Amino acid sequence: MPDIRISKENFPGAIKQLMDRYRVFAPVKKGRFHEFALLQNVEQADLGFSNTLLSPKGLFHPQAERMFEYSLAREDPNAGILKEAQKDFSPRVILGIRPCDAKAFELDDANFNTESIKDPWWVQRRETTTMIGLACESPCSTCFCTSMGTGPFDTAGLDVLLVNIGEGYAARALTEKGTKVLEITSGCSSPAGDHLPLAERQQAAEQRIGTAFDPAAIAKKEMLELYNSPAWEEVQFACLNCGACTFVCPTCWCFDIQDEVCADKGDRLRLWDSCMFPLFTLHGSGHNPRSNKIQRVRQRFMHKLKYYQDKYNSGPACVGCGRCVQACPVNIDIRQVGQKMASPDCSCSI
Amino acid sequence: MSDWEPRIIAFLCNWCSYGAADLAGVSRFQYPPNIRVIRVPCSGRINPKFILAAFRHGVDGVWVSGCHPGDCHYIEGNFYARRKFALLKSQLEYTGIVEPGRLHFSWISSAEGTKFAETASHVVESVKAAGPAQHFVKKQAEVA
Amino acid sequence: MQQSYTESIREAAKRLLSEKRVEAVIGFRKGTIPFMNEPFLARTVEQADLLIWDGNCAMNLANYLPKRTGSVAITAKGCDSRSIVIHLLENQIKREQLYILGIPCRGMTDKRKIADNLNGREIIEVEETGEKLRVLGRDFEQSFERTEFLEENCAVCTHKNPVLCDELLGEPVEEQQIDRYEEIRKIEALPPEQKRLFFDELIQPCIRCYACRNACPACYCPTCFVDESKPQWVGKTTDPTDTRTFHFLRAFHVAGRCTDCGSCERACPVGIRVRLFTRKLEKEVKELYGYEAGVVQDERPPLDAFRPDDPEPFLG
Repeated sequence: MPDIRISKENFPGAIKQLMDRYRVFAPVKKGRFHEFALLQNVEQADLGFSNTLLSPKGLFHPQAERMFEYSLAREDPNAGILKEAQKDFSPRVILGIRPCDAKAFELDDANFNTESIKDPWWVQRRETTTMIGLACESPCSTCFCTSMGTGPFDTAGLDVLLVNIGEGYAARALTEKGTKVLEITSGCSSPAGDHLPLAERQQAAEQRIGTAFDPAAIAKKEMLELYNSPAWEEVQFACLNCGACTFVCPTCWCFDIQDEVCADKGDRLRLWDSCMFPLFTLHGSGHNPRSNKIQRVRQRFMHKLKYYQDKYNSGPACVGCGRCVQACPVNIDIRQVGQKMASPDCSCSI
Repeated sequence: MSDWEPRIIAFLCNWCSYGAADLAGVSRFQYPPNIRVIRVPCSGRINPKFILAAFRHGVDGVWVSGCHPGDCHYIEGNFYARRKFALLKSQLEYTGIVEPGRLHFSWISSAEGTKFAETASHVVESVKAAGPAQHFVKKQAEVA
Repeated sequence: MQQSYTESIREAAKRLLSEKRVEAVIGFRKGTIPFMNEPFLARTVEQADLLIWDGNCAMNLANYLPKRTGSVAITAKGCDSRSIVIHLLENQIKREQLYILGIPCRGMTDKRKIADNLNGREIIEVEETGEKLRVLGRDFEQSFERTEFLEENCAVCTHKNPVLCDELLGEPVEEQQIDRYEEIRKIEALPPEQKRLFFDELIQPCIRCYACRNACPACYCPTCFVDESKPQWVGKTTDPTDTRTFHFLRAFHVAGRCTDCGSCERACPVGIRVRLFTRKLEKEVKELYGYEAGVVQDERPPLDAFRPDDPEPFLG
């Protein structure tokens, strides 16, 4: 499908057309920050943002989610039977997602959607969601997506790519879902003939992003050499093990499952967990293989930048969105840690 | 609304207040039946977590009673409790978690059966006026 | 003034390390993004040259002391030193292990206030000279008077000078007389329903990441009440009742131990003003028991002590 143009004046109308057919999630200003929220009206959508504070992973993998419910009432013939909680999987659109976050979901698929194991909630949500991405014109100083195998105009994981071209948006359909969505908004758009020349804009945006570190250099290294490096002693000192980094990260997927029972009703809940929490690896026996802070800090970076690469023969489990850099209360910077890991002997003196 | 009877948890210290409750019962003093007693060894055993847990479970009122300060069976338990209770009550009301009239404290010795019955009536009346507890109750996690 | 602290900290650190008076020095080194510094442990004289001090050294370094072995020097401003006193009182570290480098503090910068002033335009670099800030963005430059953009807790601080130290690295600064609890009183005056709504709205963005708890030097329990499961006092989801329970109890657990260092608010990734919980208790403790956390070294914390004539405002 050829590119289309949507003028500034027509854009709200296009959103309205989407809202008539789908549940639309878009960035909404909340206090100082933006977050992806279900639009109640068109005016709420605010695409003039750099990125949301929390990643949109909550739209596929909520912070807290009911998986099953059960009754424990003695007279209930269904007592003790886990019933899947009802969810809304009606079609939806995520409007304005950044390419880094969309790429992150592709990386998360390696965990939630495999040959042998499929998380039914994740998979259904992915299938019924159309992602309309918004290319980054002005990446932040904490962005390093280009070092992580993606970029401000990357199309991985997106169904449509929107580019702000001043007088409006250019929209490029990338998949069937994307084509369908653009057809729905055809009342508010005009065809732009052949592919619009967006390469210049892409180059300008990519040039604004500095090089962080080379994940390929980390992939080449011996795992044990990285694991046993004395550099971790220095990296781990400041860490508070607070979990802020894992909660804002779009590629962190770890969760805990807990049952909560009130009187004779029970819920099986899934909630975000963090490898930063000491309790994360606590065994029922009382043994904790990662009882020290240094073990947990090392684990996080090794998982994202080394183990994931080794296991899936692809890039790191990091998309360079920079949220952890901004959220960490003690300024532990993954770019610095990555550079250390990539340098010979992990010894670059940062 | 007219059918509703408040449910009130009473944490009573074993040596004084529980004894007072016993005495009130033996003396056949009348007081409303809305309190459920949880006996603790000393009012100093009361942890704020207990009171919060009671409200989370949906009780309408909580009443904590112990020995008179200076007469604690364990000498000092209620002295520590006194400080805890002061901070706890003021913080609960400040954050709006517990409306006025729901949380009560008293010092009742084991000889004060009448005082027990009177305080019980007062507590029940006060909680009745506050109405059924709605806001700080956890029945089911409000999640996606 | 802050500039010369960097020099004196480095000098002291190098001296202490080369004389083997301490095994390590806890301080800050320059951060990688504007308005942030990273807590840093210097073990060698070379590493000591990385230590700095400026208006972004807000995190309470006393957080790194509990259960530390060996001797360590630590840079401490007023609030940090009071947290160290609390740790000494609670046997989390021994006095002989510590060499406290006291820093009379002029207050830390509130990066969020500055970001608000710039209307969300991105800050690329910051230059701090004395009490002047020069903030540079991609296409703008703006100057700020640091004293007008201090962290909220610094703006009402009454203990800028360290209460305990082995070496004071500068001239003491003047303490201010100020009403610390004006905002608390405003909330106290609200009707009960409004209070509840106010706090519900305040903690609504909470994602239960526990950054506030972990940044707090007073929160060092090996098993936090949140992690207790037999029984489970508070659920771990973002259910509103659970979230209120968490913030309430955490503030209660630091009652009389909190020195209002502001690390909790600074650490919160979603910017919740959690100090509105802790400062109410600080006010009560002061008014009821005349106690201020960590100011006097041989007074037991208020919930670990009693007087026969303690007030009983809760009766009735």
